[in-house]
Amino acid sequence: MFFITYLRRELRRRLRQAIVVALGLALGIGLVITVSAAAAGVSNAQAGVLKGLYGVGTDVTVTAKPEQFNPAHGGTRIQIGPGGGRVCHGSTCKSGAQTVDNLTSPSYGPLASSTVDAVAKLRDVASVAGGLTLNDTQIKIPGSIGSGGTGTLPQPKTFGVNGVDLSRSALGPLSAGKITSGRNLARSDASSDVAVVDTNYAAAHRLKVGSTITIAKKAFKIIGLVRQPQGGSPPDAYIPLGRAQALGQGFGSKKNMDGQVNTIYVAAKSAADIPVVQKEIARLLPKATVTTSASLASQVTGSLTSADRLANDLGRWLSVLVLIAAFAVASLLTMAAVARRVREFGTLKALGWRSRRIVAQVLGESVTMGIIGGVVGVGLGIAGAAIITRIAPKLSATLASATGQRFFAAGPAGASSSSPTVDHTVLVPLHASVTAGVIALAVLLALVGGLLAGAFGSWRISQLRPATALARVE
Amino acid sequence: MYQLTGVSKIYQKGRRTVPAVRDLDLTIGDGEWLAVQGRTGHGKTTLLQLLGGLDRPTSGIVDFDGADLAKLREAQVTRVRAVSIGFIFQTFNLVPTLSAAENVEAALIPLGIRRAERRRKVAEALDSVGLGDRARHLPGELSGGQQQRVAIARALVKEPKVLLADEPTGNLDEGTRDEIIDLLGRLWRDLGLTLVLVTHDSTVARRAQHVGIMSKGRLTVRRDVTPVAGPPVT
Repeated sequence: MFFITYLRRELRRRLRQAIVVALGLALGIGLVITVSAAAAGVSNAQAGVLKGLYGVGTDVTVTAKPEQFNPAHGGTRIQIGPGGGRVCHGSTCKSGAQTVDNLTSPSYGPLASSTVDAVAKLRDVASVAGGLTLNDTQIKIPGSIGSGGTGTLPQPKTFGVNGVDLSRSALGPLSAGKITSGRNLARSDASSDVAVVDTNYAAAHRLKVGSTITIAKKAFKIIGLVRQPQGGSPPDAYIPLGRAQALGQGFGSKKNMDGQVNTIYVAAKSAADIPVVQKEIARLLPKATVTTSASLASQVTGSLTSADRLANDLGRWLSVLVLIAAFAVASLLTMAAVARRVREFGTLKALGWRSRRIVAQVLGESVTMGIIGGVVGVGLGIAGAAIITRIAPKLSATLASATGQRFFAAGPAGASSSSPTVDHTVLVPLHASVTAGVIALAVLLALVGGLLAGAFGSWRISQLRPATALARVE
Repeated sequence: MYQLTGVSKIYQKGRRTVPAVRDLDLTIGDGEWLAVQGRTGHGKTTLLQLLGGLDRPTSGIVDFDGADLAKLREAQVTRVRAVSIGFIFQTFNLVPTLSAAENVEAALIPLGIRRAERRRKVAEALDSVGLGDRARHLPGELSGGQQQRVAIARALVKEPKVLLADEPTGNLDEGTRDEIIDLLGRLWRDLGLTLVLVTHDSTVARRAQHVGIMSKGRLTVRRDVTPVAGPPVT
């Protein structure tokens, strides 16, 4: 009790200094919390993007490299020359105005459906689902192209289509979504031309339950609308896997994708098992690309990644610097206060106070300032996080995906070809979130700051001989 | 009580050695009042610090009730100070943020006495110096004489065997000086204390039983110079 009375009185006597020390620590701790919250917000946004891509619960995805484009084996070639435009599938070409509507897998190569079962048998795998991640690309080719008219093709319209394994729908992109209208795909829909459409895509194209959407020149009835988590980059339409396999343009010599998937979604038994699962799959499928959310995050570009760098690099270093400065100021001010109180401590030693009791008193004062700084810092940090959430512009996350088209153009400079990609950009709101872990870190920093500030002064006190202290002229 | 044998204290100031106390032999019996006079810088305060275990001699024995303060570990000397020795300083040395009662209470903290008991002893000590009604006042709200009374209460609250006073009236006017010396004389008599008092003031020194003169680190004691202020009659 005496300890607290003495501590309280001393802090009140040095109120201005106590405020400076506490505010310095508060500023540092507040900045750490704000930056950590912003970083967590960016991570959450990233996770949201990735979750939207691969669904809730998916720890690892398995894909294969896309096959090398070979005009003789498949794919769509659009040739523009002096004689006009031509669209070729393999060796079959067609000239004149026409609409191309292909469902292709430009980003990933094929994996046999049996691979899904093989992965499911691995020791640390909890569940598995196979799916087809496809792009439907539609281009209207005017009859006038090339022959004296324009040589530029109209921009293709591309949207993402996901073939969903209805027998294992707990994993994959659709699992993350919430049906807002109509119903979800059911096992009984396995061979029907029905689709569930993303709410954003539906709103942009004025689609609703009961409307139809054309996929690979087939009309699919929309039976439900699904809302994916904010910040996601989800497919635009979900159809039964069987229908996607039938309509998808085949790889190599195959005309369709029967018996194939191009993405395997894997859930590990625990988060700690993810690296093990990654290794097990890599051993089982040496040519496959095994991706975890961590590695996928590196493929995202846009302001989201800039914000990530800003929060993680600049923000963290800034916090560290401010904290060091705050700790240094707190230490110097406490040292100065101890120097002014040398005679007081000498008197207490003369009264029979042991050095450690006096040290505890000084440490108590500095830790109290640290805790006050910590509490204010948590408040500042939460306020900072709230301000960031309120004023931060939406972050963009861009994932490039191939369209699966190959354009050939002949001109005076010679022939050229290109495989255009479509950038899928989503705007992600930044929610800077303060977690319990960050608060715990702040408390720890406050204690460390207080102890550090008091440590130097305390060391000096412990070295002080009472006679020397009492001889000090104030 | 005290038996000092061949005690010297030499300070090192750069390359120069400054002998503050030289080869001092001194005996102070239980319940005696010794006043030490001398010019500034002749070792009076150093002697008091050696008696109080605030400093260690360069050589010699400072025997206090059978224990050599020069040889005890720091924790043991601290314990001796906490239990047996009370200090009074010229500048009072009160903690400015603590009230009169809390300053007095500070002397009981190392003894581990329960709070209620501490409060009772503090009230008694303040009453004994005539400041029972000033318990809640801060030092800054008290006069110099009152502050010194609080310091005396602080020194005596733990019922020490020895009271060491370093120029206790040095900062006080004549009237207050006499009040304080009267008070010290009364407490010395009533409590049977051993009192060692360092002073410049001959008026104050004359009140003591024995008077020692410090000169260049050496002490000469004249005993029983003031029979009127003798120890309590038992």
